[in-house]
Amino acid sequence: MRAMILKEFRELRRDRRTLAMLIAMPLLLLVVFGYAANFSVDTVRTAVVGPQAEQATAQLPFFFDVTTVEPDGNRSTAEDLLQRGEVDVAFVSSTGPAVALVDGSNLFAAQSIVSVLNRLSDQVTTEVLYNPGLKTSWVMIPAIIGLILTFIGTIITSIGLVRERQTGTLEQLAVMPIKPSTVIFGKIAPYFLVASIDMALITVLGMWLFNVPFNGNPLVFALGGALFLFVVLGLGVFISTVSQNAGQAIQLAFFFLMPQILLSGMIFPLDAMAAGVRWIAYFLPLTYFTMISRGVMLRGAPLDSLWLPVVALTLMALLVFTGAVLRFRRDLAPTRRKRGGTSESDAASGAEAGST
Amino acid sequence: MSYGVSDAWVRFGSQVALRGVSVGVPAGQVTAVVGGDGAGKSTLLRALVGRVGLDQGSVAAPARERIGYLPATTGSWLDMSVQENIDFVGGAYGLTGQALARRADPLLERADLAGVRDRLSGQLSGGMRRKLGFCLAMLPDPELLVLDEPSTGVDPVSRVDLWRLISEAAANGSAVLMSTTYLDEAERCASLLVLHEGHTLLSGTPHEVVASLSGTIISTTTLSRPAFGWRHGRELREWFPEGRQPAGGSVITPDLEDVVIASSLKLGMDGEERL
Amino acid sequence: MTRQSTTSPSFLTESRAVSKRFGHFDAVDDVSMNVAGGEVVGLLGANGAGKTTLIRILLGLIGASTGEALLMGEPPSRELRRSIGYVPQSLGLYDDLTVQENLDFTASAYSQPRPSVPADLADHADTLVGDLALGTQRRLAFACALLHRPALLVLDEPTSGVDPLSRARLWDTIHQQADAGAGVLVTTHYMQEAQQCHRLLLMSGGRLVAQGSERDVIGGTTAVEISADDWAAAFSALERAGEAVTLDGTDVRVADGDPYRLQLVLEAASIPAQIRSVPATIEERMTVLARAERVGSTPPTS
Repeated sequence: MRAMILKEFRELRRDRRTLAMLIAMPLLLLVVFGYAANFSVDTVRTAVVGPQAEQATAQLPFFFDVTTVEPDGNRSTAEDLLQRGEVDVAFVSSTGPAVALVDGSNLFAAQSIVSVLNRLSDQVTTEVLYNPGLKTSWVMIPAIIGLILTFIGTIITSIGLVRERQTGTLEQLAVMPIKPSTVIFGKIAPYFLVASIDMALITVLGMWLFNVPFNGNPLVFALGGALFLFVVLGLGVFISTVSQNAGQAIQLAFFFLMPQILLSGMIFPLDAMAAGVRWIAYFLPLTYFTMISRGVMLRGAPLDSLWLPVVALTLMALLVFTGAVLRFRRDLAPTRRKRGGTSESDAASGAEAGST
Repeated sequence: MSYGVSDAWVRFGSQVALRGVSVGVPAGQVTAVVGGDGAGKSTLLRALVGRVGLDQGSVAAPARERIGYLPATTGSWLDMSVQENIDFVGGAYGLTGQALARRADPLLERADLAGVRDRLSGQLSGGMRRKLGFCLAMLPDPELLVLDEPSTGVDPVSRVDLWRLISEAAANGSAVLMSTTYLDEAERCASLLVLHEGHTLLSGTPHEVVASLSGTIISTTTLSRPAFGWRHGRELREWFPEGRQPAGGSVITPDLEDVVIASSLKLGMDGEERL
Repeated sequence: MTRQSTTSPSFLTESRAVSKRFGHFDAVDDVSMNVAGGEVVGLLGANGAGKTTLIRILLGLIGASTGEALLMGEPPSRELRRSIGYVPQSLGLYDDLTVQENLDFTASAYSQPRPSVPADLADHADTLVGDLALGTQRRLAFACALLHRPALLVLDEPTSGVDPLSRARLWDTIHQQADAGAGVLVTTHYMQEAQQCHRLLLMSGGRLVAQGSERDVIGGTTAVEISADDWAAAFSALERAGEAVTLDGTDVRVADGDPYRLQLVLEAASIPAQIRSVPATIEERMTVLARAERVGSTPPTS
């Protein structure tokens, strides 16, 4: 018994990945649920438009953090601000009772706003846009599309690539007269294709089963999806280059997946997260994909209003994908590249070997 | 055309995998690299096919299109059928359709794999899978065929099949370099190289290698010095490096196995003297 | 085939009419065999002949479909397995532990005192097993299996991929164990090693087709040896004629060949050669068996 336990500890001590998982995972969960798991929103970004904008602003409780005041604006100005995701709520003041337009695509903020407004019901008429029923499924499905793509991109891709290393056939590919670029893109393209089809399928199915609307431009959605796919496929390729077998690949992919589920704003709203944790969210690709998918599907947000997530994903895609492909390429090249293409190429002589 | 590696040095970090090893691989012959795990066989073969760069020394090999290589691992894609493996590798060498069939069909026929084209490589027996790996390596009609332990773990019957395929490849003009731990296979090769911890222990034709051993080897029933003895089939063998005529036992003509074992013993003893 | 009464522990391990069926596939088919103390028994056969399955049944790792497997005269049990040293093909070492730690663990598992590292492994005492060469790993697996001085050693392809000197030394260890009274059951593909066994068992297609001495195993198989300057041509010509051709060095051999018929083949191909009948080898018997299996006929049992 003692020997068995001792052996297990010794093995565990040497398995750095599992060890990291044992230590990092509890820490991550503690931090996330301590600081990030917060459904209640303290303040909401607010716009006030219309002739009485100045006066209305002064009357609003502290909960409404007024970022935009436009006395010249009207309802369409307000809707535009909401659609672009610049504010969570917009008050349209006019001669009659004010109208509060609430962005239902930001579910937790919207729920807080509605409950606050219900207490002021006499003076304000509340209208929830984009998700009038405030359904959780409507905001979850656009995010889940991203989660599924992350799953395919990292776990499935890395397993597929690592199999080639595990069975040693990568060695054969490297010797065959196939260009490294052909090998790499030939290995990645199928996963890209399958993930794209999956994305379309899940989107359509989500719309059909849960009546999730698709209000925006499918091309913007496709652009966001493609950029995001490059990032997650790049992660998958990267994971495969640092793993020796499928088990290691899954373990590592899990490391990438876990924080994305918890911190991307998919479950807990970014606005409600403590600043100390929120910055992590801004390094996660799923955060940006969720911004795009929710924006396009629910609010019909135009491309120019989504420039931040698009630029962020583009940068990540360039960085991660290129880095991963270069690492993969290194595996296909000779251990030290001193040998030329065809025949007789004298390698430069190295240092005198320390023979005995 | 003769290919090969001369004065090859390869280091992996602090480990030296090859220490000035040379091997010529002439066309039309099978050349064997013999040694245990860690002797440097795989590194030498991988250097010849361009997978390992040399720290020092030179490599002569044809263009990639004319190299066939069977690594020491599985050698085929386990989740693809025999035919799919052939199609994939053939395609990589620019062979498709009729041209591929003309090349692959006789190979599969000779390897006794023609009847299992639809079977997944992962479902083949060890011996059959090695034969499939061999067929894949033969697809480009290689000028240089490099086979890393084609017969390790393969049963005697499949080994005979494999040997037949290998000797035919050589008879048809390929320069063949294969590594093996079986000395009966090495004995059939035109020339051989015995590696030990990255050093060349012995090299030459089987006859030259056997003749290179100094001293006498006897067949005996009791060993006078166990450190110089080993079992050979039902007999015990003992080596007398000084050539002194031993009291008991009968002097035999050693085979390759005896010579390799005696030379390994000598190396171990020289090593101890150096210390 | 010797049969002992059920209570007699005179065999360290024994199978009585053991069969194992996986689906429609008879992995082991009616095999009766045994290993006694002090003998080295070689288990031979092609890949897939059922050797590893038989070993696993003998050890009680899987149950037989029909028939009876006995260890020390009793059905295999965990307690009985303590008297066995088993080295599987996969070696069963822990890659993430050092040599010393692997030995410590095995020793504790068998309630043995903490062992010292054998001299030939001393340099590697603190090396992780995963970083060792295969030959060294095999030596360690041996050392682990021998720690508790087992009555029965079961070795599945112990020398695969090992250099000749290390192979010779491993076989020295095997014989030392047998001389000290242990029984050894060993599988090998290497016929020179088969000759070092006291007794051989030959399996083909799940069945035990021959047992006894090398002569017994070869049975009625005959061989013809052909020496030709152009041995490759002779080989090809005979192969094309459908003969069971093998090679010994550069001599071409034909199992169960008819010298007269072979002469005709070679003359037709204009290959000058010397033809003579010689004693057959175990490999040739195996080749004959394999060819019989390929055409689906029943191989002869001796």
